[in-house]
Amino acid sequence: MLARHTQHKALQWLGRQLFNRNDPEAFFDPLIERINPMWVQEYTPARVEQILSETRDTKTLVLKPARRWSGFRAGQHVNICVEVDGIRRNRTFSLSSSPLLWQEQGRVTLTIKRLPGGLVTNWLHDHLQTGAVIGLGEAFGDFQTPEPAQPVLFIAGGSGITPVLSQLETMAALDYRAPVTLLYFVRTSDDVIAREKLLALETRYSALTLNIIATNESKEPRYLRDQDLDAVPGIKARQVYLCGPKGLMDLAQDLLYKRGFADSDIHSTFFSAASANLDNETLGGQVQFEGSQLEVDSEGNATLLEIAEAAGLTPRHGCRMGICHQCSCRKTTGTVINRLTGKASGPGDENIQLCISVPRGPVSLDL
Amino acid sequence: MKKMTEAQLAELETDLNAIRDEVIADLGERDARYIRRMVRLHRSLEAGGRIMMPFGFLPPVFVAATATLGIAKILENMEVGHNVMHGQYDWMNDPSLHSQTYEWDTVCTGDSWRRTHNYEHHTYTNIIGKDRDYGYAVLRLTDDEPWKPWHALQFINYILLSVFFQWGVGLHELETEKLRSREISWREKLPFLKEFARKGGRQAFKDYVFFPLLTFPVAPIVLAGNVGANLIRNLWSSTVIFCGHFTQDAETFTEEECEGESKGHWYLRQLTGSSNFTGGRWMHILSGHLSYQVEHHVFPDLPAHRYPEISGKVQAVCRKHGIHYNTGSFLKQYGTVVKRILRHSLPERLTGDATTA
Repeated sequence: MLARHTQHKALQWLGRQLFNRNDPEAFFDPLIERINPMWVQEYTPARVEQILSETRDTKTLVLKPARRWSGFRAGQHVNICVEVDGIRRNRTFSLSSSPLLWQEQGRVTLTIKRLPGGLVTNWLHDHLQTGAVIGLGEAFGDFQTPEPAQPVLFIAGGSGITPVLSQLETMAALDYRAPVTLLYFVRTSDDVIAREKLLALETRYSALTLNIIATNESKEPRYLRDQDLDAVPGIKARQVYLCGPKGLMDLAQDLLYKRGFADSDIHSTFFSAASANLDNETLGGQVQFEGSQLEVDSEGNATLLEIAEAAGLTPRHGCRMGICHQCSCRKTTGTVINRLTGKASGPGDENIQLCISVPRGPVSLDL
Repeated sequence: MKKMTEAQLAELETDLNAIRDEVIADLGERDARYIRRMVRLHRSLEAGGRIMMPFGFLPPVFVAATATLGIAKILENMEVGHNVMHGQYDWMNDPSLHSQTYEWDTVCTGDSWRRTHNYEHHTYTNIIGKDRDYGYAVLRLTDDEPWKPWHALQFINYILLSVFFQWGVGLHELETEKLRSREISWREKLPFLKEFARKGGRQAFKDYVFFPLLTFPVAPIVLAGNVGANLIRNLWSSTVIFCGHFTQDAETFTEEECEGESKGHWYLRQLTGSSNFTGGRWMHILSGHLSYQVEHHVFPDLPAHRYPEISGKVQAVCRKHGIHYNTGSFLKQYGTVVKRILRHSLPERLTGDATTA
């Protein structure tokens, strides 16, 4: 996923001849890595320059990617790759800095909240050290503010603020000429991520109205309500951007629909919620075969190999008993259960054996 | 083969699964560090060998360069390529160590190897008629296979197969015996032949054209050294592989006794159809730990450097179930291989020994 594809046809050809691989420049990575990990060619390396504490469970990583990284637009995400106990783990995070920081200083920031039980976020918080080098993918996502300027309303919750930080920084720097309102929901006032930055933005960028709402500081939870929207001047004409936990996103969408907002005026970006309650999980789920552009539903303990075959696909396979790895395939998202061990996989991009993997919830495969 | 009841086989399965589970639960940074160290060593040896080779007009440098490149190829083929393609390191989620995309430094394409070796050989191990690795369709190694006059000269075939081993392995999937019997047609094998030509051409281009031409004034020296390095790898890898299944006590099986077999029976077949040889640490590394062929066949997708660690436990399970654990010194095991090839050159009635399978 983080692989870079060289554009030089001749080099690729020679690489295949000499090194039996399509990325010959990465052949000597195992040696080069020893000299300077920032010279690695297989993926884009990024050095962790600084780790800043935002709240008790949120940190900001200041990264310096290798210069060949292609940059990003405000509101986009990246995949990062870290090695945890010998296993490469890929996870997606929103870039929280403005693209201007990348252009001017070659730096980007990721603001990452510790998820309960989250393998990678906890590792990042507990083990990642300044000076370490991690893998960085190319930016993606289209959570982008309108051009030319239109009135905007951001509704963010918790660490869903991260892409919005990037947006606001950029809008302030470019002096985006339209009213901008941010409704930012946090559990308690201690949970406000980047408080200083937000307050500073409000001071220097007059178009911005900031409203931070703590949900859990009163007896009754204080969620988003219609009056919050009433208080936004000219709400009807706003483009609305949602990023936060599912509860907030659903509630906001509901209130906006009631006000007659069209889907085209509501922009939401995905936000990885904490893992669901395992007790209620049942096996099976929607399986998406990305390469074949096919989606099927599955039930019970049917393996992905069986599901694929039932769907008319003929994935490569061998023993059908977990021995030969002929059916190894990349899972891009979703969780699977290993039928032999009963263990659950991680949610991210990784290799699995189709013949012994049973989906638990929606799964996407590179097949 | 030793006869065991289904209940005994189920117990064998449980015992072996316990060994496997313990290793799986412990996989982590140590294994990642090990395989990366091997990859790094390969890169160093390959670079070193290639750089030294043009200076091969000095005889000691020629010997050193050829040996270095030969060992590089052995290390890449045996400890890295073979083991990575078995999926031993898939759990690391490292695209450069992924079983299904790895391409190794030998004529046989990774795809062909994954079909013929990982699937056919490891699933149907030593079943005469189903495991085409058993004698590679050129050697008669059991009296279960009917004798034909050309078997009398099979020792010459063996020498040729060893010398040109990478080409033999590369062409293995052609299934010449089935082409001869017209069971399959050349047309069906066209896609395979295309892939074979592409990969074989690439390997030949690299070692016999590109690097010699790159060092033009000393091209013959570089060519000779590269041929030598390939030869070293061919002889060593074929010898290691022959010691894994063709020793005196390695058993063979019939299709009937394996029909609808349980996992326990599959385990039993792996234990009795494979053979180990002993040696020092580097002997094991350079054989890709196929010196622990028994452990490899029982657990083909566990990182191979773990085999020495679990060997004691596997032997204990064998003792418990009264299964012969086939091991011995390299020379002893190889001696029985040579004897087996020679013995089966002749029909059963001449060797008069019906007890050896």
